Amino acid sequence: MNWDSKHKKTVYILSAVLMVDFIYLLISGGTDYIERIIIGIAINIILALGLNLFSGLTGLFSLGHVGFMALGAYISSILTLPLQTKNANLPDLPGWLAHVQLPFFPALILAALVTMGIAFLIGIPLMRLIGPYVSVATMGFLVITQVVLTNWDTFTRGARTFAGVPAYTSWWNAWLWALFVLYVVLRLKFSSFGRSMRASRDNTIAAESIGIPIVQSRLLAFCISAFITAIGGALWAHFIRAFSPKSFYFAQTFSVITMVIIGGLGSVRGSLAGVVFVTVISEILRNLERGITLGVITIPPMYGSSQVIMALILILMIVFKPTGFFGETEWKARDVIRFFKGFFSIISKGNNGGH
Amino acid sequence: MKKWIVPLIALVALGVSLGSCAKGAGSTIKIGMIYNMTGAQASLDAPSANGAKLAVKEINAAGGVLGKQIELISYDGKTDAETIGKAATQLATSDKVVAMLGFSDSDMVMAAAPIAAKSGIMFVTSGATSPKLPAQVPDYLFLACFGDNVQAAAAAEYAYKNLNAKTVYLLIDKGMEYTMLLGKYFKERFTELGGKVVLEDYYQTGDKDYSAQITKAKALKPAPDILFISSGPDDVGTIVKQFRDGGVKQPIFGGDGYDTPLLVQIAGAGADNVYFTTHSLMDSEAGTPAAKKFIADYKAEYKTDPENAFAGLGYDTVKLIADSITRSKSTDPKAIRDALQTTKGLAGVTGTITFEKGNPIPQKGVALIQVKNGKLVLAAEVVPEKVPAP
Repeated sequence: MNWDSKHKKTVYILSAVLMVDFIYLLISGGTDYIERIIIGIAINIILALGLNLFSGLTGLFSLGHVGFMALGAYISSILTLPLQTKNANLPDLPGWLAHVQLPFFPALILAALVTMGIAFLIGIPLMRLIGPYVSVATMGFLVITQVVLTNWDTFTRGARTFAGVPAYTSWWNAWLWALFVLYVVLRLKFSSFGRSMRASRDNTIAAESIGIPIVQSRLLAFCISAFITAIGGALWAHFIRAFSPKSFYFAQTFSVITMVIIGGLGSVRGSLAGVVFVTVISEILRNLERGITLGVITIPPMYGSSQVIMALILILMIVFKPTGFFGETEWKARDVIRFFKGFFSIISKGNNGGH
Repeated sequence: MKKWIVPLIALVALGVSLGSCAKGAGSTIKIGMIYNMTGAQASLDAPSANGAKLAVKEINAAGGVLGKQIELISYDGKTDAETIGKAATQLATSDKVVAMLGFSDSDMVMAAAPIAAKSGIMFVTSGATSPKLPAQVPDYLFLACFGDNVQAAAAAEYAYKNLNAKTVYLLIDKGMEYTMLLGKYFKERFTELGGKVVLEDYYQTGDKDYSAQITKAKALKPAPDILFISSGPDDVGTIVKQFRDGGVKQPIFGGDGYDTPLLVQIAGAGADNVYFTTHSLMDSEAGTPAAKKFIADYKAEYKTDPENAFAGLGYDTVKLIADSITRSKSTDPKAIRDALQTTKGLAGVTGTITFEKGNPIPQKGVALIQVKNGKLVLAAEVVPEKVPAP
């Protein structure tokens, strides 16, 4: 991103205001609130990176990743549910599952592996498709997942709330996973596999002609991204602790897509920025929309305005900067330092005016 | 550069004011409220929130509780579990409320109540009727409404005894915990009385075409005496209309999901001969005196009639919490919770609330409503003789 653009000052000042507001919110919210925000950011980073890995590398857009999130959530929760709760809530489970209670880590890995297996199976036909057909087909997968989860009462309690999931997700294990996923995705992007994938994305025929096996490598990207998304789903399940199939449907899909689009589809660090940006903005707006008093002016509560503003930001983004904050680029430490240098020089000059 | 300074200061001030509204003076008693003002649950939750606000206004106008004013701190849950979790955390740890209320759906309750319980604060749900809920958050989760087992038993007893129905056709929405449980409890009580289920059929929330189910229902020989259709508020109008258009004339029974203006608006004349159970008849002419007064006050405040009985439930929930605070003579969340459990004969818009010892679900009468010529009339107030176990 070019910080020397004419909008530099706008960017600086707006970010200063947002930072002040957000820090104020965090301080007044207390430690439990800060912890929830921090865990939420970590999980959303994992989900955004999972989608980003697939879409960024293959140029295909998946609308079905929340289906993988649902699988990760349900499978890991069935495995970690305390036996007593399990007998009460899921009385018809087959014996081999009814007597199993795994610790968090193995349950997480198992859930992600099973999800990856399912992604492999559906990926075999899906990865042969091109362009928008992949989006439609993956959305079909999301709908199928929804119907299966709603009707397979024995394992999922059907449409009823799946509750009693132990609170295993903490700020540190969520962030360990987020950092691990970040590392994996960055390494993959700049590996020979990642580069060949991007070559095939930009020019499929040319890439094929130099011997890049397109379907296989797309399938690999699809499976890895399903694994990551399932991990995110499992962490989400042990964070929220009560959910039903409808928690993993279009609303959740669009929430992840918004973060990825705003950050830049294809940029790993863009995904991080997108998640943080959306979290900060929506937290501030959510608290503002409850109505505020500014001296003599009282603004009444306007519920829903936070979603409206978020949607407006997304539309403006698509119109004026369709590549998101970062497009395809990865910013480096150098850029961050430059940003803060400019930031502090303008803020400290204040009234004297920089120009 | 200078032109930036004014908006900068304004925006920072805006940010600072964020918290100032959350931190009132210490002279008020704070009650936390989370309803889904936006999203799929808004049609039930927004009226509940309005009812709750009205109750707070009335209590404060009459001098508040324990000599202090009640401050209702409200967040929008956005029908999203993550947002609800954050809002509940803010209410518990930063706003330091003495009790929380909210929601008409068990998913949403389960996203908030455990967080309240962790801070030792009780959560009272105004409209989530699943009798299985309180056991999930022991000691801290209470219902202000009856459980689904109570309303289903009331419908079954009324149909069996007053309409002399012996056979029933069951249609259940598989997409919601509420409709699944309601259908199950109705079946349990109806067969226990000696009735018979001739066919149990299913559909999915949001289905638009019920011709397959109607064909099967019409082919039944002998025809069932009544139909019990367990459906949510969004589908009920369409279903009743299609069944009537398809030539099904028998009485149709349902639960409080039918308590929506959509039933008569969409089904029109087809809504006649529909019976449903709900919390109270919200009718300015036919309702109870308490309901009539509530409707008048609600109309004066919001320029519209209460949208459904959930408005009354929100109102009663605040009254219930305020009554507990008064009787506990304390602002300690645990003392207030203990007082709530000894509530006896508290008259409300949606019936009289009494908590029996150790039961987190109040004993309340069920309003059985019949649609006659497009109008809702109270057919009976039923207190079921026997209720299926949750």
